[in-house]
Amino acid sequence: MFRRILIANRGEIALRIIRACRELNVESICVFSEEDRGAEYLKQADQAICIGGPAPRESYLKSDRIIAAAEVARADAIHPGYGFLAENAAFAEKCRACNLEFIGPNVESMRLLGDKASARNAAKKAKVQTVPGSDGVLEDDNETIRVAERIGFPVMIKASAGGGGRGMRMVHDKTDLLAAIKQARMEANGAFNNGDLYIERFIDRPRHVEVQVIADRHGSVLHLGERDCTLQRRHQKLVEESPSPAIDARTRSDLCAAAVKLAKSAGYDSAGTVEFLVDGKGRFYFIEVNTRIQVEHPVTEAVTGIDLIQSQIRGAAGERLDFAQKNVHFSGHAIECRINAEDPDERFRPCAGVITRFRPPGGPGVRVDSFAHDGARLSPKYDSLLAKVIVHQPTRPQAIRSMQRCLREFEIEPIKTTLPILRKIMEHPNWAASTIDTGFVERTFC
Amino acid sequence: MIRRTPAETARSHPFETRRIALLEIEKIQQLVEMMTANDLVELSLKDGEVEVNLRRPDPHAGACAGTHAPAPHVPARPPMPGSSNPAELFVSGEVAAVDLVEIRSPMVGTFYAGPDPNSPPFVQVGANVGPSTVVCILEAMKVFSEIKAETSGTIERILAQDGQAVEYGQALFLVRPQ
Repeated sequence: MFRRILIANRGEIALRIIRACRELNVESICVFSEEDRGAEYLKQADQAICIGGPAPRESYLKSDRIIAAAEVARADAIHPGYGFLAENAAFAEKCRACNLEFIGPNVESMRLLGDKASARNAAKKAKVQTVPGSDGVLEDDNETIRVAERIGFPVMIKASAGGGGRGMRMVHDKTDLLAAIKQARMEANGAFNNGDLYIERFIDRPRHVEVQVIADRHGSVLHLGERDCTLQRRHQKLVEESPSPAIDARTRSDLCAAAVKLAKSAGYDSAGTVEFLVDGKGRFYFIEVNTRIQVEHPVTEAVTGIDLIQSQIRGAAGERLDFAQKNVHFSGHAIECRINAEDPDERFRPCAGVITRFRPPGGPGVRVDSFAHDGARLSPKYDSLLAKVIVHQPTRPQAIRSMQRCLREFEIEPIKTTLPILRKIMEHPNWAASTIDTGFVERTFC
Repeated sequence: MIRRTPAETARSHPFETRRIALLEIEKIQQLVEMMTANDLVELSLKDGEVEVNLRRPDPHAGACAGTHAPAPHVPARPPMPGSSNPAELFVSGEVAAVDLVEIRSPMVGTFYAGPDPNSPPFVQVGANVGPSTVVCILEAMKVFSEIKAETSGTIERILAQDGQAVEYGQALFLVRPQ
C-alpha cells in the first residue's frame, strides 16, 4: 500500500479522497491554488501544497507543478479525482515515468476507451451494441437508402461538422429520405461549410443508464451495478439513482455483462463507468466510457456497501480485489441529488460568494458529501457543484420520501442554489412514476 | 508548505506555517488598507510575544510636522480571500517590516542557495540585486531553473533554506527596495 498519496484535485472530491486515505492509513497531500488557499477541507489532509494561481490552467491543470509537488512531498502515487487531469493519458504517462503511480487505468486502455470513436470501435469488436448508424460519411444515395433500411426508421440525419444539437434532422419514412438528405446537406454546407452527413437510429426519449466497473491489475473485472442518470439539464446530470427503475432484470444483466465485456477486452484495470442509452423497448446502446471515478460514485457505494475510492487505491497499489462478482450484493435503493451553486431563476447562472448558513440534512440513510460549511467561500473559477446528498432506503418510494425530506431540510444561504428545482423534481409525479427521459427537465421546468 | 505534525493532525490545530513573512505582509497590507480607509495615523497590535506598530503620514498634519514614517510600501497583491482575524497569524516572535518586497517562488520545487554544493550561495544578506540577478535555483523533476530577482534592492532576509521544498508563491527572499 502507498505511504503517501498526492491529491491533484480540489473541493468535494479532494475531501472524499482524503477521507479514503485516512481510513487506509495513508498520508494525504492535497494541492491547492491560491484561490483555494485557506479552504477548510485542506486541513483534513496531512499536508497541503500551493501549486499556482486561481485559474485551473495556472494550477490544477499544471501537470509539471503537480508532479513536482508529489516529488518534493515524496508521494508514491497521485489521485487525479475527476475532471482536470483525470482522463489525461499524457499526464498518467508522465506520472509513471517519474516513478509515481497514477491512480487510474493503464495508459493504453485509457487511450483506447477515452476517445469516443476509438471506444465505439472497441465496443463493436467486443460485440457490444452501439447506436446503429452509417459509421462514416454518406457517399451516395443508394448506400444511404440501404443503411437507413438496415438501421430502421425513424433515422436521424446528422451533420459531421455539427454539434450541440445543431445540424440534425429526423426522417420517419423511406419516401422522405432522399429529399431530406439533399436539404440537410445544403443546410450543413451553409451553416458549417461542410456538407458531410451521417445517419443514426433515432432513439426516442432515451434513458441514460451507466454501469460502474471495477478492476484490478490481476485481470479481475467486475461490475457494481448500474446507475440511472436520466435526469439531466443540458447534458449535466442533476439526479442519479440505483437500481434503474426503467429496466427489467434481463436488461440489467445484459447491460452489466456488456460493460464488463468491453472493459475486459480493453484491458481495463481500475474503476470506470460504461455509459449506455436505453430506449423505450429496453434496447441499450453503448455511448462512451469514463475512465475515471465519477461524481455519482456514492450511489453505487450505498447499494453495494463497497468503498469505491479505497478499492481504486488498493487496485493501484497492486492488490487483488478482495471480492468476486458473486460476492457483490445489491440492497435497497439509493438516490443522489447534486446541489449546484446556480440560480435556477436566472438560467442557472453560476453563483459565487461566501456561504453564511450551511445546514445539511441528516438522519438514517442520509449521506452528504460537501466541502462547504458556514463561512465557506465559493469561487467563480471552478465548477459549481456545492454538495451531493445521497439517500439509501429499502425501497424506491422510501428513498424518494427521504430525499424530499432532505431537500426541504437543507439550508444554504445566501447563495442561490438548485435546491428549489430539485425539490420540484423530487416531488413531481413523473419522477415517482419514472416516466422521465433526458429532455424532461428542460421541457418541464425551463 | 503547510505541514502538520501527527499531534496537530489529531488536534485540528490551525496550520503551522512556514510562510510567516508572507502571511504577515498580507495581513499588514490589510491593516494598512484599513488604516487608510478609516483615516488612522497609528495602529499598534500585540498578541502574545508579537507586536506590530504601523504609522502612516498624518494626512491632516502640516508640511513641517515631526516624525513622519515613510508611507508603508507593500507589494501590490490582491487582498487575501476571506477575513481571518489578524491576531491568529502572528504565531512567531518576529516583527514584520512593511517596506520589503518579496521574491516568490514561481513553481514547486527544491530550493538551492548556490549553483552547486561546493560553491557559495548566489546572494547573501546585504547583497545588491537587480531584476536579472540570479538569486537561487529551484529544482523540480531533475530540471534546475535559475530564479531571477525581478526587482532591485538589497537582500534583507533569506527565507528558504538550502535543500528545502518550496511551494508556488512561497516567499524566498525579502528585498529592501532602493
